[in-house]
Amino acid sequence: MLQVIVNGVALGAAYALLALGFVLILNATGAVNFAQGDLVMAGGLLVVAASMVWPVPAIVLLPLVLGLMALLGLALSLLAYFPLKSQPPVAVFISTIAVGIMLQNTANALFGAEPRAGPPLLTAGLVELGPVTVSRQALAIIAVAALLIVVQHVLFRHTRLGRVLRATAQDREMAEALGIRVNTVIAGTFAFAAAYAGAAGLLLSNTFFVTPSDGSNYILKAYIAVVIGGWGSVVGALCGAMVIALFEVVFPSLPLVLPGLASLPGASWLFSQTMATILLYVVLLAVLVVRPQGLFGETVQRRA
Amino acid sequence: MRRLVGLALCLGLALPAATPVNAETSIPILVPITGFLSLEGTSQRNGAVLALRNAPAGVTVKYEISDTGVAPEVAVNALERALGRGRVSAVVASMLGTQMLAMLPVALEQKVPLVTVSGTAAITERGNPYVFRFFPGDAVVKAAHVRYAAEELRARKLAVIYQTTAYGQSGRQHIADNARRHGLEIVFEEGIETQVRDMSPVLGKARAANPDVLLLHLHAPSTALVIRQAAATSFSAPIVAGSAMHQPPTAALLEPAELKGVCAETNASPVSGGDPAVDRFLEQYRREFGSEPDGFALGQYDGTMMVLEAMARGAQSPAEITRALHSGIHRGLAMTYKSDGRGNMAHSAQIVCYDGQTRIPRVVKRYDDIAPPSN
Repeated sequence: MLQVIVNGVALGAAYALLALGFVLILNATGAVNFAQGDLVMAGGLLVVAASMVWPVPAIVLLPLVLGLMALLGLALSLLAYFPLKSQPPVAVFISTIAVGIMLQNTANALFGAEPRAGPPLLTAGLVELGPVTVSRQALAIIAVAALLIVVQHVLFRHTRLGRVLRATAQDREMAEALGIRVNTVIAGTFAFAAAYAGAAGLLLSNTFFVTPSDGSNYILKAYIAVVIGGWGSVVGALCGAMVIALFEVVFPSLPLVLPGLASLPGASWLFSQTMATILLYVVLLAVLVVRPQGLFGETVQRRA
Repeated sequence: MRRLVGLALCLGLALPAATPVNAETSIPILVPITGFLSLEGTSQRNGAVLALRNAPAGVTVKYEISDTGVAPEVAVNALERALGRGRVSAVVASMLGTQMLAMLPVALEQKVPLVTVSGTAAITERGNPYVFRFFPGDAVVKAAHVRYAAEELRARKLAVIYQTTAYGQSGRQHIADNARRHGLEIVFEEGIETQVRDMSPVLGKARAANPDVLLLHLHAPSTALVIRQAAATSFSAPIVAGSAMHQPPTAALLEPAELKGVCAETNASPVSGGDPAVDRFLEQYRREFGSEPDGFALGQYDGTMMVLEAMARGAQSPAEITRALHSGIHRGLAMTYKSDGRGNMAHSAQIVCYDGQTRIPRVVKRYDDIAPPSN
């Protein structure tokens, strides 16, 4: 049971970094960044490339990946957001899709289509926690993701920079009137979101590999996390990410945790990965119908 | 001056029309280079390209590569575009079963042969005379897959993890049929989507079912994920994977120790060496593409070469090439190919296994002339 929970939390924690960046851009600009999934892929491939040059544990490469991904985020804002910021949100939505496709094709040209494995965060292998063994990598993912989420929280809640970011997210016009350089703040948000997406890519690349076409899968998860958690809610995005991991990892493992379930008629289908996916989307639809603002409310009124 | 420029432009545009259009025939390559089948699609492309570069003397064929992604409509559009561009002798067609199934009606309507390495059984079960499969279909490889588990590993109870794609479901059906034929019990089976990352739930349930052998019928990334996570959790039953495992990029994702004892079915394993002609192919492939070839590349090479050799012998039109593919025998690098009347050209399969020391598998068993089941 502990192993299942650790695996689920590790996956959810990596998804949380992805969803977090998605929400931060959404709040700062009111637009959906559909390149967020491809930024995860870029972060994964970046750590693969860096590890070819410096064969060290991924934790050592994390600052480099964060820095380079932040630059990529800045480039994304300059290419896909600022030229279109006065257009309706759908223009940014389309432009980020375009940038995502460009990233995917560039990665395909540079790295080839095959999956790649990044280095482990610290070391590979298992660690014994009492009667059960869990993966070192999973524990390391949880620790690093938790650290990054705490850093984000402290930065946004307890610093002047955070107040400026939040002010911009809440009311751009008012922030501008108060002398806040909104464009700088938005560019910074793109950098921050891309850095966190890159961190997610780094965390996922060892256990789950990375291919140039992974982005579309990740953006779907970010979108689901945000819809379930609450459009524009940072806490909601984190919880939404955990809900996805719950369905991907914990739900299909229930017959192992509660052996009585295995004897139910149709148990093998009921607790299959396919059913878990179906139920995740049932939950998504239920949230949209019953609580359209998501589990943790909504701060942005318009949806792309 | 403007008139002169205009006249020159008109002449310039008119010049290509003055030469005979379609003087050269083409073999478009329509394969998935992006998406979840990108690894296999890239191998398919490389195999076809290499064959076209090695075309027999006197055969000049143009080729253009189109990425079909994973959507059937993209493949159909690519095929229609390619057929609209000029004289097409044959088409190297996507190995993705859903795309092949969508392209079949177009091939039938346009009467142009599709040469593929798709393993999906249904593509040659539609009575379409324009499809030619140069990779052993599920009826062949799944027979070898289950036979190896039954005869060599002495399995009585099987666990099966398959992909929920058309490829996966087709393979799952053939595994079930062959297991029944050998009197094996399937104690666990589950389909997983290509997006599933964490395999611990499905592996945990497979382990709980206590199988003698775990059979995988998955695409490359899922295969590597299952094997890595099985190794991490000391999964005790032997694993015999589908053909995706024999691909060098799949093995490259795993440490040799993680591969210890893992076997896989395939048509051929060019990196395993042993045959001078295959070794020459291997050397050229590495030189041209800077990567390691797999059985898909070799199968597509053989298929494309059979088309080119038919052209060298005088087959020019798609109809003549279709006839040649139906009636001829081609001694390829991977095996000898002959149509069974439905477009299944490959009837041999191999089992390769990893020793835990290197990522190069060893051929441990070869099954030739596997007859499709009579039922």
